[in-house]
Formats: sequence, C-alpha cells, structure tokens
Amino acid sequence: MNKKLCIFFILSLFIVFLSLSLVGCGPKAQNKEQVKTIKVWHWMSDREKAFLELAKRYEIETGIRVNFELYAPSDAYAQKVRAAAQTNTLPDIYGILGEKRDFASFIKAGYVYDITEEMDKNEGAWKNKLFAKALSVNEFGQGNSFEVKPGIYGAPIDVTNMQMLYNKDLLKAVGVDPSNPPRTWKDLVAVNRKLKAKGIQGLVSGWGETWMIDCFASNYAFNIMGKDKVLDTIRGKIPYTDPDWIKVFDLFREMRDEGIFASGIVTMVNKTAEQLFANNRAAFAFNGSWCVNVYRGMNPDLNYGAMLPPEASDKYPMTIWGGAGSSFMVNKQSKEAQLAVDFLKWITDAPQQVFLSKETQDLPSNKNSLKDMPMVLSQFANAMDNTTHPNAWGVSEFPVVIEAFDKGIQSIIIGEKTPEQLAREVQQVKEREIAKKQ
Amino acid sequence: MKEGAKYKVEKFLKDSVIHILLIIVSIGCLFPLLWMVGSSLKTQQTIFSDMSVFPKNPAWGNFYSAWTKGEFGMYFLNSLFYTVTVVFCIVIISSLAAFAFSRLKFPGKNILFYMFLGAMMIPLPGSFVPLYVLMTRLHLVNTRIGYILCMINVGLSFSIYLLKTFFDKMPTELEDAARIDGCSRLGIWWNMALPLARPAIAVIVIFNSLNVWNEYILATLIFSSKNLMPLQRGLMIFQGIHVTEYPLLMAGMTITALPIILVYLIMQRHIIKGITAGVIVG
Repeated sequence: MNKKLCIFFILSLFIVFLSLSLVGCGPKAQNKEQVKTIKVWHWMSDREKAFLELAKRYEIETGIRVNFELYAPSDAYAQKVRAAAQTNTLPDIYGILGEKRDFASFIKAGYVYDITEEMDKNEGAWKNKLFAKALSVNEFGQGNSFEVKPGIYGAPIDVTNMQMLYNKDLLKAVGVDPSNPPRTWKDLVAVNRKLKAKGIQGLVSGWGETWMIDCFASNYAFNIMGKDKVLDTIRGKIPYTDPDWIKVFDLFREMRDEGIFASGIVTMVNKTAEQLFANNRAAFAFNGSWCVNVYRGMNPDLNYGAMLPPEASDKYPMTIWGGAGSSFMVNKQSKEAQLAVDFLKWITDAPQQVFLSKETQDLPSNKNSLKDMPMVLSQFANAMDNTTHPNAWGVSEFPVVIEAFDKGIQSIIIGEKTPEQLAREVQQVKEREIAKKQ
Repeated sequence: MKEGAKYKVEKFLKDSVIHILLIIVSIGCLFPLLWMVGSSLKTQQTIFSDMSVFPKNPAWGNFYSAWTKGEFGMYFLNSLFYTVTVVFCIVIISSLAAFAFSRLKFPGKNILFYMFLGAMMIPLPGSFVPLYVLMTRLHLVNTRIGYILCMINVGLSFSIYLLKTFFDKMPTELEDAARIDGCSRLGIWWNMALPLARPAIAVIVIFNSLNVWNEYILATLIFSSKNLMPLQRGLMIFQGIHVTEYPLLMAGMTITALPIILVYLIMQRHIIKGITAGVIVG
C-alpha cells in the first residue's frame, strides 16, 4: 500500500513540477524601458496577418512596438472586453462591438478617449481624410439621447455599405445590357419577368437574419418619404399606418407577387445567399461590401457588379446603410493614450489603408486610398455618399417595434399578412411601448 | 406451430424496428463526422459546388496547411498539457471530496454538497466575468495555472456528484473490513474506493477531457499571450468575420477531434458501467 501511495505522491509532485515549469514558460515581462509598446485587442481574424505586417512597419518607422492580440469569434471578444472593463484592464486600443448604447456606456464609464481635438488639429487634417459617414458612427452629437459629451470617440479603419449586386452573365443571358442594370423599380420588375421566363431566380439575400430586411426596408423608406419623415416616425410623431409606410411594405408584397424573391429567402442565412449568388444561381443579391472578399473565395470567376437598390420613387435619393465597418477606440485610462492616438492616425493614413484594402478586400476608411481598387469595390466606395446608419440618427426605435416590423415583412413575403395589416400591428406595438415609457 | 411462427414474426418485426431506429441514430451521429472529413478534402471553391461527401480529387494538402497555418504544433502541446493536468487534478480532488461527503461526518456537510450541486446549474458563460475578476485580483490572468484552476473549478461539481452517488452505494462492510486490516481513511480511499469507482472515473475522465479539450471561450478570457492558448485558437484563424476557410477549418477540426475520439475509444467500455454507477458496486 505504502509503495502505491508513494508512486501516487511522486506522480502528483511531478505534475505540480511540470505545471510550475510550464507556468515559467509563459510570456516574459516586457522590458518597458527599452521599447515603448502599445497593446491592441481585436476580433478580425481575417485581418490578423495584415495587422501584424503593419505593426512591423510601424516599429521600423517609429521604434514603437504594437502588439495586436486577436480574440475571435466576436462573441468571445465582446465578453473579454466587458470583463476587462470591469477590472480596468483594457488595452491601449480596442474595439467596442454592439449597439451605440453599449458604446455610450463605455464612454460614460471613462474607458474611451475623446479624439475630437486630435481629429480637428491642423484644420481637421485627420478628420478630412476619412469618410464623414464612417466618422458619424463614432460620433455623438449635441443633445444625443445617450447623454454622452458631444465628440468623436473612435477611428474607423475601414468602411462598409449595403448594396445590390447583379450577375452580369445572367443579365446578358436574358438580353439585358450588363453595363446598364435596372435603376428604377419598374426596370427591376421588367428584368425579373425576363429572368423568370428563363427560370432564373431573382433576388437572393440572407433575410433569415432580420436586420437585413430592416436595412432593405429602411433604404426604401428613405427613398419614398425622406429622412425627416423616417426619423419622425421613430420619434413617434408619424404613425406606421401613414400611406408612405404602407407603400414601403407594399414593395415586398409586389416582389412576392412578381416572384422576384429566390425560394426560401425568409429563412435564408446570408452565407447560403452568398453561396447561391456566387454559384450563378440568382441574378441579384442584397449584401454588404464584404461580399467582394466572400465571392472571391467562393467563385473567383463570378462576373458581377454593384448598384444602388433601384429607386421606387424619384422624390428622395436612394439612401443605403453604411458607415464604419470596424473602428478602434483609445483607452482613456491608458498611460500610452497619446501613442495610441498617433498609431490610429498612422493606420488610417493612405499608404496603410491601401495596404489593408488590398490584403483584405475591405473598403478603406481613408478617402484618398481608392485608387487601383477592383471595380466592384470602387462601385461600393462610390456609394459612400449615399450612406446612413441607425447609429448616426440620434434616435433609436424600440427593439420590440423593430422585431414586429422585420417579422411582419417576413409575413408579407410568405403571404400571411397584407401591408395594411402589418402597418396597424407595428403601430400598435409602438403605441404600447410609448405608453409604457410614459 | 402457429404460435411459434407468430412469435418469430413478432420478434423479427420488433428487432427490425429497433435496428432501423439504431441505424438512423447512427447515421445521424456519423454523418456530421463524415461530412467534416469529406469537406476537409475539398478546396475553397469546390466546397460550395461539389455536393458529394468525398471529393473525386481529395486535397490532402489541407491537413498540412491547417497544421502549419493554424500553428497547431504549439497549441496541441498546450491543450494536451491542460487536459492531462486538469483531468488528473479533477479525478484526485473530486474523488477525495466525494469520499468525504459520502463517508465522513462533519458540520455543514449537506450545505456544502448542495452548494457544489448548485454550482452545476450555473452555465459556464455566466461565470466568466466573475472568474476573470477573481483571476485578475489573484494576478493569475495570462498564466497557465490560472486557466488550469478555472477549468478544475468548472469540472469539479459534476465529478463530485457522480462519485458521491457511487460511494454512497458502496457497502460499509467493505470499509469495515479494510479498517480491520489496518487501513487508514486515506488508505481506504486509495486501495478500495478508487479501484471500485473505476467506471465512474472513466466517465469523469471522458467528460472532462472533452470539456477541456474543446474549451476556448475561457481561454480567450484568461490568456492574452498566443503561446498559452489551447488548440481551439488554431481553428479560429480560419474563421474571418465574413470569410471562412472551410476546407482548412474542417481539416483542423478533424485533427482536433482525433485525440478525443481516441480517448473515447479507449474508455468506452467503461462508459455504460459508469453512467449506471451505483446500481451495482463491488
């Protein structure tokens, strides 16, 4: 018995010894006196390689080391950031995932450096390089509902927007000039009739992910009634039963009746929609600028272009969702906050933005880096002036209203509801929420 | 004669239904694995167009690319170390604790045990932030020991519960006999309780190995150094925000799954015994 016990305890000691020795193999403390270091946390695994290369270049140029630490997927990253905020261990630079109210709570807790002054320095040299729409996502205006001190709190490292994609080969196959895709709603319906006659599916999109329906409907709401009326609806001044909203909902009814939708669109996740479009199985797609990278991976020979969604009205311009793709914030508590700001200035400068865009096929946030881009990517970039984003509206709709709105549109698509019915239902939910708030 | 024929038909029908059900369940279990292996042999282009389970021209190079690109060598050793250490510690601590809960009398025994049971009800993500706060206060963030302690904590409750149930059913006569032979409490645990609990320990080893081997979220929280990360970190490299390298991801997953399948195959004969632990002891 004693022999066995001896073996057991020796084994235990061995394990403890091994543990301790491996603990010693952990990262050594940096020699802070020798090299100044900035720590960056991010979640963008597809950009990791490009970031590491940029960090090398930055160290050569400035002697400052930048440690990029990747935490993916984004859920794990978001938890890490939340936990680090609670223990005041956030790095020098990080990104905040989530809605604007999450962003606001980090600012109010004192974890985000206000970079407005830096942006405005030298007559706005930094600010003027970047797409204004991308900055607005990181900006809090005067009298914002989040009660955050007005200012800019993040630097966009890339931008994104949502547009319609068209398959040039499929349009050509039905006699439509691919250099002249449908610009108006009527054109879209006409082209779709030709596609339908040849058994080609029309529009494919990941509308099982309801935010994409919200985005599509919002584009047409802006086009039909203009920004002010949309925002007044959110403020509760205009009901969803307004004829203009019914017109928006009716577009979905019309698309259903005309057979524009690819089958199963209501439950389709965007990945499936991307596969269908990439494999030439649908003529149109509604997707974000990231799709350029996705389609390149799925089918490098795909012959396609990007266009604004065809206008349903000539009253207001077509406005699409877009803005900052990913942004970095500087930790206000960081001892190296100024170094971190300098690094953000550098990474958003044209040469670095061109490099990032080439490596990742994302749209650069710097307006001066659009040269030598693939055609589809420049089509996306050219539409940046038409972008808007709910985070930049200064008002936000009740989550339950958004849910009723999006699910209601799904119901129209499957023929369960009429536009008028949906308008009434969404308005009822809205009134209920307003009453609760009062 | 008629009765015999009727019995045979009934038996045949009953067996057929059972076998069909089992075949369906087996296919349901095996198909994802087959699909994973098949996909690991496709290319980024063919994965979306080739619908066959196994491609005609398998891209074996995916395994090499996944191993090198995902830096699996370093992560593999890390995961192996975490799994062996955590599982070993869980078996020792939980068997000692379960033996104490089952055989010793001390104040607050039941409350303490119910607290362990209560801990089982808290899902792991729910305890992330408190664990991170605790590890930060103890200066154990970004250390192997911090992660190992957290993982031991995660696996203890279930293991103690399973072993206590097992020890409760162990006849006291066996313990008395050992005591008469001059065994100490520790000696009884080592010489009698542990060998008898082998099936339950096998279950604990498999469940916890699986848990530690596949764990990633807690590692992300505790570690900031890439060198300390477990194997799952290698897989994340292939998943971008919008683009996923599916063939490499599947090749990586196949590599990752192999050791755990091996552990399962070695321990599987104990599984049924372990799950029904407590029905017959000794």
